[in-house]
Amino acid sequence: MIEIKNLSKSFGSLEVLRDITEKVEDGEVISIIGPSGSGKSTFLRCLNLLEVPTSGSVFFDGVDLTQKGVDIDRHRQKMGMVFQHFNVFPHLTVMENITLAPVMLKKRPKADAEAYAHKLLARVGLSDKAQEHPRRLSGGQKQRLAIVRALAMDPEVMLFDEPTSALDPEMVGEVLAVIQDLVRNGMTTLIVTHEMGFAREVSSRVLFMDEGRIAEQGPPEDIFNNPQNPRTKEFLGKVLR
Amino acid sequence: MFTNFFPNLGRVLEKYWGLFIQGAGYTLLLSFITVLFGTILGSILALMRRSRNKPVSGFATGYVEVIRGTPLLLQLYLFYFMLPELLPMLNLSKFACVAIALVINSSAYVCEIVRAGIQAVDYGQTEAARTLGLNGRQTMLRIVMPQAVKNILPALGNEFVTVIKETSLASTFFVGDLMTQYSTVRGSMYLVIEPLIVVGAIYFILTFSLSKAINAFERRLKVSD
Repeated sequence: MIEIKNLSKSFGSLEVLRDITEKVEDGEVISIIGPSGSGKSTFLRCLNLLEVPTSGSVFFDGVDLTQKGVDIDRHRQKMGMVFQHFNVFPHLTVMENITLAPVMLKKRPKADAEAYAHKLLARVGLSDKAQEHPRRLSGGQKQRLAIVRALAMDPEVMLFDEPTSALDPEMVGEVLAVIQDLVRNGMTTLIVTHEMGFAREVSSRVLFMDEGRIAEQGPPEDIFNNPQNPRTKEFLGKVLR
Repeated sequence: MFTNFFPNLGRVLEKYWGLFIQGAGYTLLLSFITVLFGTILGSILALMRRSRNKPVSGFATGYVEVIRGTPLLLQLYLFYFMLPELLPMLNLSKFACVAIALVINSSAYVCEIVRAGIQAVDYGQTEAARTLGLNGRQTMLRIVMPQAVKNILPALGNEFVTVIKETSLASTFFVGDLMTQYSTVRGSMYLVIEPLIVVGAIYFILTFSLSKAINAFERRLKVSD
């Protein structure tokens, strides 16, 4: 579904990603772990061109998104993204947050979009919040709203950029539960996370990133129980206590 | 000289209150025109400054820097003398020339207000909108601008207050504003201080009540945050 070829990204003289080549198959659930500054978020943000790669290609459904003239907005509609800081729209109600893009971009009738939004809200336990403004929501509720907002576009893949890092500890569980539910239903997912237990439990594959490269990767059992790369061992030794 | 102050003040008011009201009207009209068109032009300039097209953003930046870096009085003179020469077919009145100069001047300041208001909106909002598939224009119109307006409106109100005071410079060309009326009254009654006090009081009432209204409005915006 997504094919990354020789992807590099620099910010000025700082090389953040170095020549990454990787493939994401339909239905895969990939956790990206690694020390901070290793390029995890930048890697994820390059997939929908929020960061424009310095060199290399990102193929999505066979189309090289880095080519000039590609209608990136169209492709982004099929790639949902959830951010660390939620980024819900504070000037819109919960319902408007969800229906804005489908009505505007997919020309869905408003009533259909709202019916679908209600279904999604029920799925994440926010049925009673449809008419609220986001300022009345807790962090965990905002993040669930952000997930629903992305899902309302019926994406083929979901990108999560540290979705629980800005949450109070007691709200992490509710957000992870929503992601887990998505994954069970077969959503292709990439998630940058520091929740090692979650990565181990839900992913089909774990990528360990270090200094802009994918230093090691494999099924979660292998990465967590039997890491080969000394950097992976060192990192896991620090975070798994 | 102060023994006659209050009696003189009374005489000035009694004889010329109509002129002062008329002057206040012109001052408000001039200020309103300035802020209205200054806002339109300033918003366009702000979008130009944010443009990725170098000549476009360069022009807007240069415009803002030059206007803000030269005195308003000089700009008033320049437009007052230059516009009728440049566009004789329009037959511009004094008032129009002065108004145009004020609009040009104010637009540079409004440009910075709008730009700051847009920049104050968290960039995450833009990123979230773009990942949903909205293009740059849709993101600006539906997501960024509605939030930026909350930052911009109170600052625009303050610009209005500033403009009310700055229009006094327009009296250099006798366009009928408050300060023009002051000169008229001073000339006919040979009184300097008393009419000045009257005009000052009117300016203060205008600006003070406007500031209070803006504060009240700002508090209401905050509540709806």
